[in-house]
Amino acid sequence: MSQPITYPQPIETAIAQIEALLNHQHELALAQLYPLSPRSLALLLLQRDQDMWDHARRHEAEFAAIETVVTTTQQTLAEPVSVSIAQARHQFAQTLELEGLDSEQMVNQVWSDRLHHITVHPMTGFPILLAILYFGIYKFVGEFGAGTMVDAIESFFEANINPWVNGIVVAIVPWPVLQNLFANDYGIITLGLRYAIAIVLPVVSTYFLVFSFLEDSGYLPRLSLMLDQLFKAIGLSGRAVIPMVLGLGCDTMATMVTRTLETQRERILATFLLALVVPCAAQWGVILGLLAQRPAALALWASVILGIFFLVGGLASRIFPNDTSSFYMDIPPLRLPHLRNILTKTYMRMQWYFWEIIPLFIWASVFIWIGQLTGLFDWIIQRLEPMTTWLGLPTSTAPIFLYGFFRRDYGAAGLFDLQQGNSLTGNQLVVAAVVLTLFLPCIAQLQILIKEQGYKMAIAMVAFIIPFSFGVGILLNSVLNLLHIVV
Amino acid sequence: MDCGQCTGNCHPPGLWSRLFGQPSHPPLAFLERTKRVALVGCPNVGKSLLFNALTQSYATVSNYPGTTVEVTEGQLQVDDWQVTLIDTPGTYSLMPVTEEEAVTRTLLLTSALDLVLHVVDAKNLGRMLPMTLQLIEANVPTILVMNMVDEAARLGLSVKADVIAARLGIPVVTTSATRHQGIAELIHAITRHVTAHHLSPTH
Repeated sequence: MSQPITYPQPIETAIAQIEALLNHQHELALAQLYPLSPRSLALLLLQRDQDMWDHARRHEAEFAAIETVVTTTQQTLAEPVSVSIAQARHQFAQTLELEGLDSEQMVNQVWSDRLHHITVHPMTGFPILLAILYFGIYKFVGEFGAGTMVDAIESFFEANINPWVNGIVVAIVPWPVLQNLFANDYGIITLGLRYAIAIVLPVVSTYFLVFSFLEDSGYLPRLSLMLDQLFKAIGLSGRAVIPMVLGLGCDTMATMVTRTLETQRERILATFLLALVVPCAAQWGVILGLLAQRPAALALWASVILGIFFLVGGLASRIFPNDTSSFYMDIPPLRLPHLRNILTKTYMRMQWYFWEIIPLFIWASVFIWIGQLTGLFDWIIQRLEPMTTWLGLPTSTAPIFLYGFFRRDYGAAGLFDLQQGNSLTGNQLVVAAVVLTLFLPCIAQLQILIKEQGYKMAIAMVAFIIPFSFGVGILLNSVLNLLHIVV
Repeated sequence: MDCGQCTGNCHPPGLWSRLFGQPSHPPLAFLERTKRVALVGCPNVGKSLLFNALTQSYATVSNYPGTTVEVTEGQLQVDDWQVTLIDTPGTYSLMPVTEEEAVTRTLLLTSALDLVLHVVDAKNLGRMLPMTLQLIEANVPTILVMNMVDEAARLGLSVKADVIAARLGIPVVTTSATRHQGIAELIHAITRHVTAHHLSPTH
């Protein structure tokens, strides 16, 4: 194939020399191992590509000669070889862009530019963020999804499906023990499926709809850009904003996205913050629904979580010294999303989410059933009861933390269920919501955490998170009591 | 004539022969019927959207750089060919900086790819062409896919695909993945490459 691009003479000479030096017989030689042309291999070696260089050192017979070529070429050039190569490519690309693109008329870009500046400037960006949070999340997800829709589906379940299931199960299955597996208080259908369909489904579907819209519009990278300055102020790298913002959708996905971070230190820090403080869609949707009637409680929950986020993030970044890597990100244009794309995306997310959680909800019901049969469930709840007392919560909340072990959103749904009976005060709601937000991530996130960071790191994080979440809850409760604050 | 040599639609061997019979396919005849094609390019140029359009399946897409962090595979049928399409994390160059970019490089360097679709944003051609140059230099069979031509048109930019194709010496296709435009042409270009390279004995 003819080469479209010619590099400056010293580099072309070096390429020819290295090409000639490359071994073609040895099975571990670069030319045998990689499906790249000799020219391309020579260029990578000239730029001292880490992998190629290490490999060549070990397996290329003429490595010493190649090294000499690379060194002498560098001496003849004023700038680093890699810069010279990049410049040649860049120049070619610019010329081709001019030839290959016709710019017919100058289009007025002022409007979209202005919109961009409005979204990233803190003076206008924060009000916009608050408006999105208020209308998109608080009103739509919190009040409509977790309020109106949950009420409707819940009452339908309570009034129609549960009595019907209980009746059928009693009629078919003669043993009460087995009846309890499917029906009654903790049954697979009456509890597991009810939580999944009546509480989590409306919250998650409304949230995913809003999130998909924001995602396709190009707002999220601008949010990261704006928060970047805030993050830097407390010593966190701006790059870490990306997974944090994604974590508000799904922490599991966000934990995978921490791979976009450059250093291992940043990745551990981001993964840890995701596991500890960043609530996922199902969680903060349900919590918003819980606290929507009490704005003071909601504000308290939000400030405790935000405070811990900045405190832990700031402390951790001081403990592990920071080599502030510069934040560079492509900012895609702001777009008006296509309805079809948003709906497909929301649908696919929900499908993925449901295949993920329904088996877990069913397993949780089965475990609780086994636990109750063997008395293990009661034993654990008895152990947890002093804990709930320290937290200032009624003992009826103990099972919720047990659910929380399976999934945070399952626990949140349990809390929601309890609140329907109006058995919790504002203070108790806030304490329970804070502990559940900080509590262990869901099983899927834990799996990804282990996969990305290994067992040791995962265990260390879990060992910190459990006592920390209860500790914060206990502290919060005592402070509220001491200061006689009632929300 | 043995199965695997026929030119018509292939009937897969029955369960019985698959479980107990001798392998009736010479391994090469089987390999020739499948091709591996990868989508590569900078973050947020629409690789995943093209992947979905081509394979009629779904990979998560967002207007947000860095959403794809792992390799996704999907299937696509062109003529008699089974094409495995591979969606990759965004990368700016053959020399990676972050771990997600390294995933793509490893794929390019270690797996036998029959074709690479280099997806670029038509609005930012100058910034993305260096990677195309690297692919051409490496002798990787490449088609340049200029995506987002609708947005380019709104900025008053029109693409002269033939000029770019002539200068680079590789096929160029223009698409708008969000609007499903240019997908048929892209499939056509893939088909042409797949069948042409089957006929040429050097490949």
